[in-house]
This record gives sequence, C-alpha cells and structure tokens, in this order.
Amino acid sequence: MRVRALYVLWVLLVLFLKPLSAASTPDIEDRTREIAAELRCVVCQNLSVADSPSEMAQQMRAIVREQVEAGRSTEEIKAFFVSKYGEWVLLKPKTTGISALLWILPYVVLITGVIGVLLFVRRVAAGKKAAVAPELTPMPEPAQRPIADQGAIEIPDLEDTTPRAELLREDERLRAELAELAFDFQSGKLSEADYRALSRELELRRSLALSQLAAMPPPAAAPKPERFNRVKKTKTTESANGLRRWQLASGAAFLLLFGIVLGVTLTNSIRPRAGENDTMTGGFMTGTGATNNQADAALAEGKRAFDRQEYPKAIEAFKKVLAGDPGHPEAHSYMGFILMQAGHGDGALMAFDKALLRAPNFPMALWGKGMVLYQDKKDFAAARDIFERLLTLMPPGEERNEVAKVLADMPASGVTGKPNASPEHPAAAPAGNVIAGKITLDDKLKNRVDPQAPLFIIARQAGGAAGPPLAVKKIDRPVFPLTYSLGQENAMIQGMPFTGKLHITVRLDKDGNPATRGAGDLTGEYKKNPVEPGAKSIDINIDQVAP
Amino acid sequence: MPIRRLIIAILIIGPILALLAFGFSRDAKYIRSPLLAKPAAPFTVTLFDGKKITLEDFRGKAVFLNFWASWCAPCRAEAHDLEAAWQKVKDRNMVFLGVALQDSDPASKEFLKEFNVTYPNGKDESGKIAVDYGTWGIPESFFIDPQGRITYKHVGGIRASLVLEKLEEAARGIASAQEGRGDYQGVR
Repeated sequence: MRVRALYVLWVLLVLFLKPLSAASTPDIEDRTREIAAELRCVVCQNLSVADSPSEMAQQMRAIVREQVEAGRSTEEIKAFFVSKYGEWVLLKPKTTGISALLWILPYVVLITGVIGVLLFVRRVAAGKKAAVAPELTPMPEPAQRPIADQGAIEIPDLEDTTPRAELLREDERLRAELAELAFDFQSGKLSEADYRALSRELELRRSLALSQLAAMPPPAAAPKPERFNRVKKTKTTESANGLRRWQLASGAAFLLLFGIVLGVTLTNSIRPRAGENDTMTGGFMTGTGATNNQADAALAEGKRAFDRQEYPKAIEAFKKVLAGDPGHPEAHSYMGFILMQAGHGDGALMAFDKALLRAPNFPMALWGKGMVLYQDKKDFAAARDIFERLLTLMPPGEERNEVAKVLADMPASGVTGKPNASPEHPAAAPAGNVIAGKITLDDKLKNRVDPQAPLFIIARQAGGAAGPPLAVKKIDRPVFPLTYSLGQENAMIQGMPFTGKLHITVRLDKDGNPATRGAGDLTGEYKKNPVEPGAKSIDINIDQVAP
Repeated sequence: MPIRRLIIAILIIGPILALLAFGFSRDAKYIRSPLLAKPAAPFTVTLFDGKKITLEDFRGKAVFLNFWASWCAPCRAEAHDLEAAWQKVKDRNMVFLGVALQDSDPASKEFLKEFNVTYPNGKDESGKIAVDYGTWGIPESFFIDPQGRITYKHVGGIRASLVLEKLEEAARGIASAQEGRGDYQGVR
C-alpha cells in the first residue's frame, strides 16, 4: 500500500513537473535573449550580445543566463553589466538622470518643430487670405486700369521699415512680376488664358497695395503721434515680416550648421576603423591621429595597386596618404617594399625607418627592414636583430614560422654598415665567439632618451682604451630591453681577430658618431668587464649620462 | 530686436549642435570606468602549475592584475616590461598575477616560456573574470590596493615604469581618476 502510494506520488510529480520544466526552459531562453538583446557586445560594432557571434558575447550570454536562472530581475542583470562596463554597455540608455535628456530632447525638439510649422502655416494662410480678400470687390481689367505707373515715383529707403515703405516695395515687386509675365506671354511661354488669369491676380494684389497706400497720409505730413498710432495698426504686418525673415535666416543657419556637423562627424563616425586604437571620429577633435576617409580610401587604393603590381599607381596613392599623415607607418612600409622591388635598398631602408619612427613595433616595417638588411645589404647581424625582435612580437602562426625560417637560413656572419663583404676577407667567425646579452635602459633616464640617437655596442681590448674599438655594432632607434650579439662580423677592421679580453660598453649617441662621446650621451657598461668572446648573458644597463 | 532674436537662436541651436558634435567625438569605451576606486571583484583562478589562488589571498598586498593572450601582439610587446617590473618588486609587499583570456593552454604556456615570465599566471576558463573586470581589449591591467580596491586601470600595453609608479600608488591606496591607454587588441 505504501509502495503504491509512493508510486502514485512519483507519477504525479513526473506528470506535474515535466510540463513545468518544459515551460520554464523556453522562458529562461526567452528572457536571456531579451536581456542580451539590450546589452551591447563590447567587442563589436553596434551589435547586441544576443546577435554577436564573438566569444566575448557568448561568455556574456552565459552570464546573463546564469543570472536569469538564479532568479535575478532584468534590471538587476543590466545593473550588473553597467557596474562593470558603464552605461555604454546598454544599447538603450537609461531613462533616469542625465540620460533622460536623451529620451526627452528628441520629443521636445519634435513638438517644438511641429508647433513652429503650425504657426508658420497659419501665418502663411493668413497672409494669403489677406491677399485674396479684395477679389470680393471686382476690379477693372489690367488693360482698362492703367495702374502700371502708379506708385512708381516714390522709391523707399532700404532701411525704412514703415508700413508705407513696405507697401511701396510690395508694389514694386508686383510690377516686376507683371512685366515678367508679359515677357513670358510675348515669348510664347504662356497661353493667353493663363496670362490673363495670372496678370489679373497680380493686378488685384497690386491694386490692394496701392489702395492701402492711398489711404495713408503723405510721409511728410504724417505727424509723429499719428505715426505712432498707425504702428499699432500695422504692427502685425511689420512684425510678421520681420519674424518671417528671422525664421528663414535662423532655419537656414541651423540647417547649414547641422549639415556641416553631420557631414563631418557622421562620415567620420561610420568610416572603417583605421586600427584597433582608432576612435569613433578618428583624429577629429579627439586628437588620436587616425586617418580620414580620403586617406583610408587612398591607402586601400594603394594596397590594391600594390597587389596588382601597378607600382606607379600605388606610389601615387601612398603619397596621398603621406601628404595627410607624413608618419603613416603602413604607407611608409608599402613605399619601402616598392623601393625594395625596384632595387633601391637605401631608399627602402629609409622608408622602413620612417615607419618605425612612428611605430617602433610595426611588424610590416620590421619585416621589410630585416629583408633589406639581409638580402640587399648582407648585414646579417643587423637583420638578425630585427627578425629576433619581430619574432618576439608575432604570435605563433604561419607568418611567425616564416620569419623563424628566414632567421634559421641566415648565414652566421655578415657585415655591419658595410654593404659588400670582401671575398678576400670573408669575416667568418665561429658562432661560439659571439658575445650576447640584454641591454636595458634605466628608468631614471627614460625621459632623457633622444629618439633619433642610435645605440652603439662597443668592444675594446681590455687595457687598451686608446685607439679605435675592436668591434662596434650600431642599432638605429633601439627599443629596450633588447637582446644583442657582437662578434667577428662587427669588427672595425675586417680580418682583425675578435679575441682576447674585451671591455664592453654601450652608448646612445646623440650625434650618431661612434668615435665621439658627447655631453648628454647615455652610456652603460658591463659591470664585470672584461669578458671573453663567446660569453653569454652580458647584460648591460644604460644608467650613466656622459658629462 | 534682431540682436535679441539672434542670441535666442544661438542659445537654442548652439547647445544642440555642441551636444551632437560632442557625442560623435567620444568613443564610449573611454568613458570613465565604473570600476575605479571600487572593490575588485573576487575570483579564483587555477594557475598553469595547477595551484588555485583567489584574490582574497592577496589581501594586504598591492596587486598588479594583467589580462593577456598569446595571440595578442601588444601583450607580447609588454611582456618583457612586466617581467622586468616584477623582478624589481617581487621581494616587496606586492604581487603580480597574469590571467590568460581566450587562449589555449599550450599557447599560453609557450608564451610564458618564451618571455621567461616568472610571476604567477592562470587562465580565465569561463571568461567570467574578464567580464567582472569590464575587459574589452587586451592587454588590460588593474592595480588593486591592499584593501582590495581597484586604484588604476590600463587598457593596452604598459611600460615597466608606469607599472612601478601605479603599484606604489596602489600600495598607498591612491586611486587614479582616469584609466590609462596604450596599444591594445580587441578580445575575440
């Protein structure tokens, strides 16, 4: 009996809970999606967490789901994300606090606009009504009533805003329109019926203006108080005209400024991003130095031309980019590759250096510079340094493997700053004789570094301070910490053996001359000098300033 | 009268245009982080050597927390600097903790080996720690004072000198008003 009762209970539970759970799962899914749709994917451009396929969005969705399952309310979940990312994470800003302005302002502007339009339409309608009213009293035909010359004698002053002057101007305008109408009729642009109808309407309006004018006293006879009284009567007309002019001028100014702001900011905002660090508007107002639309287009055009090997066209495009941003690393790098293709190694080197001046870790420029040094200059030591630096910057992958392969294939010897190794002096040295280590820059000297100063690594015979060094290696625009190697290939005089006890020093040399040490040059030396060729971990800290 | 109308028109139109221009000129990501000067979210991370540590373990010490990935070039660029900074402070009351994001274990371990990173590093398995710290670009670094409060946030690569400077501030409980910025790569 007891067992049966338990069984019945179990069946009831299964029957009852199954549909409940089946109903709750879609509910959780729906709520998760609903909340995720209101959150911004933090790594995408204008995509919600619900719509984004990114890994980050997936993680955020999982957190939303977890919190939904934990019974948190929508507001609590949204507040959680706001507490982490700020209100920016909400696709719809809050309707409280300062954010409420974003919701209210458009409606305020809309209502104001509608009221403005209604007032304007009403005023226009009132003006038309006033102009059409005289039709009730029939006027003579244009031909029968020679009014063409009436009122033409008096020409009002431009600054005169009295009702009389306004009427005179109105009369003048209507007369001109009549003349124009007559001209159109004579030249066959208007049918006779149209001409008659239109000219009749204009004549009617003109006769109204003239009759109002006739009702006014002559200007000289108008005493001041009377004029003052009349102002009251004609105030509506005068202020309506003035107001209309101001409305038109303000409207035009607003539209112009609105157009300029939208034209500049929106086009900047929706352009493709130049890079990871590029902002919504690029360099405009934020000073972040991003390129503008034209530069982006020129860069893209240059790349396409480069891929098609249309080098003159590519050069023109990259020149355009550089005209706008003289330090653009990508444009300089492409120019470097083009010069390299054309066999101008020095020019290519200069282009890559310009790119590296702006972005010392720009992989494309490092690759190009390394290849020029390797293939064109045969300066294997310098090329090796560049490729080693590039390797530290590149994440694992095919491209990195390619660099590693080039590095592995590179001969162990070469020259430094001397383009052609003499075959008589092969300058070969066993790799084991190379001194290697790391050079660092002391923190206290970081602000004193001249970015143009090359780094010299100098080896002198221990005890023989006078005379030229045994070996020197020059590194342009070094980035610290850097690893170095110094060996036979860096010998000042080819063939001079790189042996014996050596004194190793380094110098960031402002004038770029290894033979002179000027005031302000930053120096350092290996603390346990002398060393022998082949020594490793010869780490040097640049911590002195030359007096 | 016309001058008054002109002023009214400018007063109405000016702020609307200024608001529009301001809105377009801002990258919302750089609006001040809500995390600055707030308690750091607690977390537990499994280190690559298998140990588990929590942020609570570091209470009483200034903490440098760094989010990174082996595929992120700016992370690679700063790796030497971080290790150099760690070597300078490792004997003081300061700790470094690296948290790898969206990365595979072998790639992360290879990275640590390549740059000879000696301070503790673990992996954010679920991505929850990254969300808790409002991460959107890596590397991202956080400085936490001995009371467990975030004193500074830096999005992008950071130099050793700045790490040391901000750690000193964190040790004294000084919170920065603004977050810092360097080269970064968006998380995936």
